[in-house]
Amino acid sequence: MIRKTRAKGTWLAATVLAVGSLFATSLPAYAETGVTSTEIKLGITLPLTGAASPGYNKIGNAMNAYFKYVNENGGVYGRKVTLIQKNDEYSPQLSIAKTNELILRDKVFALVGPLGTANFTAVHKSVGIANRGVPSLFLNTGFSGFANKKAYPTSFMVLPSYAMEAKIIAQFLKENHAGKKLALVYQNDEFGIDGLGAFKAAGTKFDVSIPYTSGEQATPGIGTRWATTLRDGGAQVVVFFGVTSATGALLGGAAGLGFRPQWILGSVGSDPLTLRGLGVPLALLNGAQTLAGNPSPNDTSDEYVKQFQEINTKYNIAGTNFDDYVLQGMNIGLMTVQALRAAGSRPTRAGLIRAIETKGSTFASVAYSPLGYSRTSNVGHTGYYMAVMDSTGDRKPFGGKVTLYTTNSGSGSVDVSTFKRPAMPAKGLPSNS
Amino acid sequence: MESWRKVGLAVRKKIAFFIILGWLLLLIGDRVDELRVYQGAQIAMYTIALASIVLLTGYSGQVSLGNGAMMAVGGYAAALTLNNLGSPVWVAFLIAIVASSLFGVLLGIAAARLSGPYLAGTTLALAVGLPSIANQFAFLGGEPGLLFDVGFPPARLGEEFSQYKWFFWIASFIALLALFITSNILQSRYGRTWRAIRSSPLAAELSGINSSRMKVLAFTVSSGLAGLAGAVLAMTISLVAPGAYGLALSFALVTGAVLAGISSLPGVVLGAFILVIIPEISVAIADSLGNADKLNNYLPGLIASVLLILSVIFTPNGPGEKLRGHHHKKK
Repeated sequence: MIRKTRAKGTWLAATVLAVGSLFATSLPAYAETGVTSTEIKLGITLPLTGAASPGYNKIGNAMNAYFKYVNENGGVYGRKVTLIQKNDEYSPQLSIAKTNELILRDKVFALVGPLGTANFTAVHKSVGIANRGVPSLFLNTGFSGFANKKAYPTSFMVLPSYAMEAKIIAQFLKENHAGKKLALVYQNDEFGIDGLGAFKAAGTKFDVSIPYTSGEQATPGIGTRWATTLRDGGAQVVVFFGVTSATGALLGGAAGLGFRPQWILGSVGSDPLTLRGLGVPLALLNGAQTLAGNPSPNDTSDEYVKQFQEINTKYNIAGTNFDDYVLQGMNIGLMTVQALRAAGSRPTRAGLIRAIETKGSTFASVAYSPLGYSRTSNVGHTGYYMAVMDSTGDRKPFGGKVTLYTTNSGSGSVDVSTFKRPAMPAKGLPSNS
Repeated sequence: MESWRKVGLAVRKKIAFFIILGWLLLLIGDRVDELRVYQGAQIAMYTIALASIVLLTGYSGQVSLGNGAMMAVGGYAAALTLNNLGSPVWVAFLIAIVASSLFGVLLGIAAARLSGPYLAGTTLALAVGLPSIANQFAFLGGEPGLLFDVGFPPARLGEEFSQYKWFFWIASFIALLALFITSNILQSRYGRTWRAIRSSPLAAELSGINSSRMKVLAFTVSSGLAGLAGAVLAMTISLVAPGAYGLALSFALVTGAVLAGISSLPGVVLGAFILVIIPEISVAIADSLGNADKLNNYLPGLIASVLLILSVIFTPNGPGEKLRGHHHKKK
């Protein structure tokens, strides 16, 4: 009896083992570009040198600092996250060359945070991002054209679009600066023209309009020329839609002429530490109004800012001041890790895209506005609040409290939102799946 | 009669050589990965651009730092033709040659009276100023530029046939054709006349050569070649923008021409290869030193400068001339 039972047990075990082995060997072996058992490789192109680099050149290092922190705490399902930075000097054709290196030589899993509207437009077409199925996550540009899911099926924005930004500023101008002489200084490419179109659609009329070409801000005396045109045009409120180095030129030129209109700075070009680095006295920012999506990088009462500051101190390059660019970089790092976790322990490029489409709207992020990711939308954050800067460059909410406005890139209205952002994951380490 | 037969034989040999070379390139293109194929297309583009410098500087003795601007004229002409007229790609390339040649005529007329540093300065100003003109006109696309889309490879080549391989095929074919034609021009009486002008403009004039007219002709043909290279560049990056044809490109071309041998047409392939390989070498060095991000900003320029200095010291006429010298000594 015992012998028969033992024999039966042995046969059962052997059968289970045999069937299990057959099943296991018939499973497709897992392999994905840029993913090994120990590493996930990501890539970013951004200006590390050149006229447009001040401020932006900190984003990649900030992302790296966050990834180092995550790697020291187990990585993503045991894999360390590696970010390869490539300097494109804000030049579209260099972006193409560097992106080719990332995809063809370095064989990255995904692009994260590629910077620049003209740059990504060129890259997307030239390198064939969509055809190759390469995920391009959290683009560092607000061009509303990238919200087109059909044209950019593997790309995801993170910033509200420039069109959204312009609509919210237009609303603010109506509510707070009605009847004044308005002026607009904008970068003459998709970045500024996107905003210009939204201003026109919102019915905002500018009495003075100054377009500038990217790189022109480095021309000696250009800031004075711009300020002279604004002053002579009688501008009382000047809206600025350009990069930080151009802000510096304009503010410096205006200060030289003693011209002090009400400045309204777009979200892109208003980082005070970068402006200080460019030699702009921060006192010039006193009273400037600016759109903001995130809390002030100096607001240590904010749980996200506090955690990111600690990571910056310990893991970023020594001496890196914590400013809006570092905050943005770390936040992109946080969202990237959440995306990688949501893609599962055997991530694929297609799986990563699906994960963001289905779960991305619930990701934790430092920005106050909701995320718009879905199967039909690759829009990131959808709103801003208005802030006022002081003589140290710090910003406080206009009117004393954060009034969040949300909208879309089209003809939708601008509404006050009561959205509450998700809490920062414990110790800044996502545990989502 | 005998000499005509010899000429005919030489041309037939040359045609056979280029056909075999083309076949080899096709085979190589099938066996390397996509990155190398893409780099192959870039080498083909630089080959055409460097040939324009060999003709202008190496043969007719006119120093030009503005070939990047000529490439811009060709690139934009091709893009405007493709985008606005919906023409076939080969028509766009032809228009690129014609447009840049016409520009070369104007430049040649202006530059015929200049020489040495004055000519170099004039062409340098062109290299700096011309691409920026695109920023001023909306129809030229401004700073972001214009897309240049030659379309996908024909379906009959199969799904695995990538876009970059298609670029490689087109660029290589154009480069071979351009080299063949340029080689014939340089070996003709025009080439001999340009060499005479370069060696001694006074003696050339005294022998009845109209130096000014021949210099203008050199500028015209060189610009046509550069314009063709500009259109090929636009194809490989699917974009024509001021930043693609900046001063850095003009300097890169001069660097490649000096490294290859300023008067050596076969050397242009070596020069093109060096221009494409320098970033690879800098990445390898930066990776081994462990500070890739920072070093990669500066290493390519440093490597190019070191190679230039070494080339000027040890092989002022290019490695080809040096090798030929060794070969003659051995004989």
